[in-house]
Amino acid sequence: MSDKLKQIINKQSEQQDVGLDQSEDIVQLVGFIIGEEEYAVPILTIQEIIKPISWTRVPQTPQYVLGVFNLRGSVIPLIDLRVKFGLASKNHNDETRFFVLKQGDEVAGFVIDRLTAAIRIKKSDIGPPPDTIASEDSMIEGVGKQDGRILTILKVNKLLARDF
Amino acid sequence: MDEFQEILQDFLVESFELVEKLDEDLVELENTPEDLELLNGIFRVAHTVKGASSFLNFDVLTHLTHHMEDVLNKARHGELVITPNIMDVVLESIDLMKALLNTIRDTSSDAGIDVEACVIKLDKISGGDGDVPVVESAPVVEEKPVQVEVVETTPEAEEDEIDYDNMDADEIEAEIERLLNQRQEEDKAKRAAKVAAGEAVPSLPPEPDSEEAKTKAETKVESKPAPKPVPVTPKPKAKSKETKSGDTKAAAPAKRAPAQVEQTIRVDVKRLDHLMNLIGELVLAKNRLIKINDDVEERYEGEEFLEELNQVVSIVSLVTTDLQIAVMKTRMLPIGKVFNKFPRMIRDLTRELNKKIELEISGEETELDKSIVEEIGDPLVHIIRNSCDHGIEQPDVRIANDKDETGTIKLKAYNEGNAIVIQIDDDGKGLDTNMLKNKSLENGIITEKEADSMNDKDAFTLIFRPGFSTAAEVTNVSGRGVGMDVVKTNIEKLNGIIDIDSEVGKGTSIKLKIPLTLAIIQALLVGVQEEYYAIPLSSVLETVRISNEEIYTVENRSVMRLRSEVLSLVHIGDIFEVDRILDTSGYSYVVVLGLGAQKLGLIVDSLVGQEEIVIKSLGDYLKGIEGVAGATIRGDGGVTLIVDVVALMQIAKGVKASAKTAQASVAQISNEKTKASDYKIMIVDDSKTDRMIMRKALEPLGVTLIEANDGQEALNTLKSGEHNFDAMLIDIEMPRMDGYSLAGEIKKYNKYKNLPLIAVTSRTGKSDRMRGVESGMVEYITKPYSADYLSSVVQRNVNFKSEFL
Repeated sequence: MSDKLKQIINKQSEQQDVGLDQSEDIVQLVGFIIGEEEYAVPILTIQEIIKPISWTRVPQTPQYVLGVFNLRGSVIPLIDLRVKFGLASKNHNDETRFFVLKQGDEVAGFVIDRLTAAIRIKKSDIGPPPDTIASEDSMIEGVGKQDGRILTILKVNKLLARDF
Repeated sequence: MDEFQEILQDFLVESFELVEKLDEDLVELENTPEDLELLNGIFRVAHTVKGASSFLNFDVLTHLTHHMEDVLNKARHGELVITPNIMDVVLESIDLMKALLNTIRDTSSDAGIDVEACVIKLDKISGGDGDVPVVESAPVVEEKPVQVEVVETTPEAEEDEIDYDNMDADEIEAEIERLLNQRQEEDKAKRAAKVAAGEAVPSLPPEPDSEEAKTKAETKVESKPAPKPVPVTPKPKAKSKETKSGDTKAAAPAKRAPAQVEQTIRVDVKRLDHLMNLIGELVLAKNRLIKINDDVEERYEGEEFLEELNQVVSIVSLVTTDLQIAVMKTRMLPIGKVFNKFPRMIRDLTRELNKKIELEISGEETELDKSIVEEIGDPLVHIIRNSCDHGIEQPDVRIANDKDETGTIKLKAYNEGNAIVIQIDDDGKGLDTNMLKNKSLENGIITEKEADSMNDKDAFTLIFRPGFSTAAEVTNVSGRGVGMDVVKTNIEKLNGIIDIDSEVGKGTSIKLKIPLTLAIIQALLVGVQEEYYAIPLSSVLETVRISNEEIYTVENRSVMRLRSEVLSLVHIGDIFEVDRILDTSGYSYVVVLGLGAQKLGLIVDSLVGQEEIVIKSLGDYLKGIEGVAGATIRGDGGVTLIVDVVALMQIAKGVKASAKTAQASVAQISNEKTKASDYKIMIVDDSKTDRMIMRKALEPLGVTLIEANDGQEALNTLKSGEHNFDAMLIDIEMPRMDGYSLAGEIKKYNKYKNLPLIAVTSRTGKSDRMRGVESGMVEYITKPYSADYLSSVVQRNVNFKSEFL
């Protein structure tokens, strides 16, 4: 039984590898604004983007954890990225969105100020994060440059990791 | 490979089932060594395992079971009387067998466990010379087995002789085919015998199961397509010609009849779990539907279609509930599964402790959710060990105290409402509260003050404290002071309640009350400020409404008097960090929580009602939040957190007297004004000019002014709780939310009932005024107005103290 499973897993990972090969030079991202800065995450990590809905506060959590909300029957944590990035929280407006990111079994919603666009960017246009902030703990995957604007690409696994 | 794995899985499942049964049977056998039926049953288990394991090439296991079989075979032919000493060896071999099965499960091989020592002992017994290593006088019957009787005309006998190792695939295939045919013939013969045997004989409960299970095991191993062997009659294992046992034999098939009628199907637990999840979703949807139905009813009262809708909704909700119960039942297991291992345990303990103890089990057919059955075993083991070690006295002590030499432990299970109760009674020496207190003092578990204030019930619960032990020294059986702590933790994990009763010299009774299932529970919904929480109803003893004067502070803790008891209180807001913006009502509701033997009063602002909720996890990101057991989705689609009563009790210990002080401080904020700027007034107007005019008029007073652009913003500011407003000046015509709606929204909240809302508007019509009053405005100022007039209206409404002027 386990052999069969292994085969399937192998097959899947092969397929994944193939997928990566094809898109090696182009990365697809979705950009969004928090405060003054534009950030981006890989498009495939986004489960969906929804307009703000009501949520329930969860006690004994850091300020940036707003609580949990109901996404079609699943209870999902909601994180305010403004607060997480050290900005003052802001009332939600028409442009506010919840970004639902998913990686493996981890799912969480993130409040962002505004969506910008889906971005296709060449891998060669993405540089490493500045040395001063490059570290294992950093949430920054890299910095992309396109049409004169600078995108901070975030590590989704770091966003979804609990750090309290 | 896969096929082998599949067979192996089946083999393991069946073997474990058989072995579980075995323990119980063996202990019973010791009491009634003559019981041939029982002996045959036990023999067949050893035989089955042997047969299957040889087929699967587990040599060590085969070796061991083969020798066990020898001993048991002699016993069942009356050549050997089972003495306690022989039983010890047999039990030891069974333990080894279990260990081997475990090893096989983990590694798919039976290497690594040495069975030789045990095999030698078994050999000595079956050698028939009576020279059992530890025997004082083992009355072993000397006669050599009569070969004709021992070698039965059953396939197993031949099986044993066939060397499967040297067969090629085709031969094995042929052999399987042959065995299958043989079996079928036998079954036919057996069925005929059964019909001939006629009516039933008093039945022996464990027998049918093991028989049936065994049949399954063999069928699975021997015939590959393995259809469910329900109609397959157990094969005649012991066709003994002995006239003595002949009657029993012939009657045996008849009493197994009930087990055969019961048709079963083995289902993967995962599928049941999935089904349970789906039902959970359905229950949520049902709750939503009911809520929508209520709303529709309110809005379209008297319409014809309502009745039809009502009918549909009630049918859906009825069927959903039935469906839920039905699915829940598929996950139910009889608690006998857990109880089974206790006779063996008691037997071992009595020998170890040199006591005489009898175990009476009743209600083993009571059913519980599978997940609970799995969790309940450990606590029961600890409680029973405790009863044996600490409860039941030594035989001489018992005789001296005018008691029966043999102590009794009664283990019973029964249903009580939505819960199951497991009760463990012993007739031992009981719990001495003074001794408990003294021991706890010695071990530093409680302070002297606490000891003094404890009543008997509280003192009994001391045995559940970690580190508590009355044993003078640590023995094999107990004394480490962890066992009962495990009991408490596990039972609380299941949302269960523990109740102890004891009388010195008479005995102790421990009751465990456990909810039937875990995934869907009944909950009490409570409100605090604008938040709601769900409390598992199984932990709620009662709810009471009290006025704030009834809350006392004793030793820095809030308490109230509940009938004859003093109940400590904690405000739910203190535990869940709820900002108490305003709390105007002089009444609170107290939810009395009971957990194990502890009680706690939880103060809440409102009681919403009872609802069936589906427990959902908060996910990895938020798991382990203290005091929150999970979340559920309510009828309106919102998420409500479920209170973890266990953790809450723990947190409550650290919360000091806040139930009252916090309320007092809230009152202070809203009432006491020491300077003019303590007065806070909100100005709500979409025109900047208008806001400026009002600001100019009020600034001379020195009050704090906060502005909002429209109704929505005003409401958010108010709800954020940053400021405690004394009054609000509200324009009527505003974008997003107008003044009337804003006033209406504000008045929805209890705590803003007394907040003065002053309309400042250019609408002068009488109807406008009326609407203003209807929506809760206390004053109606029409533009234009003089600064002095506005100022005086505000002063009047906020009770502005003249000394600040």
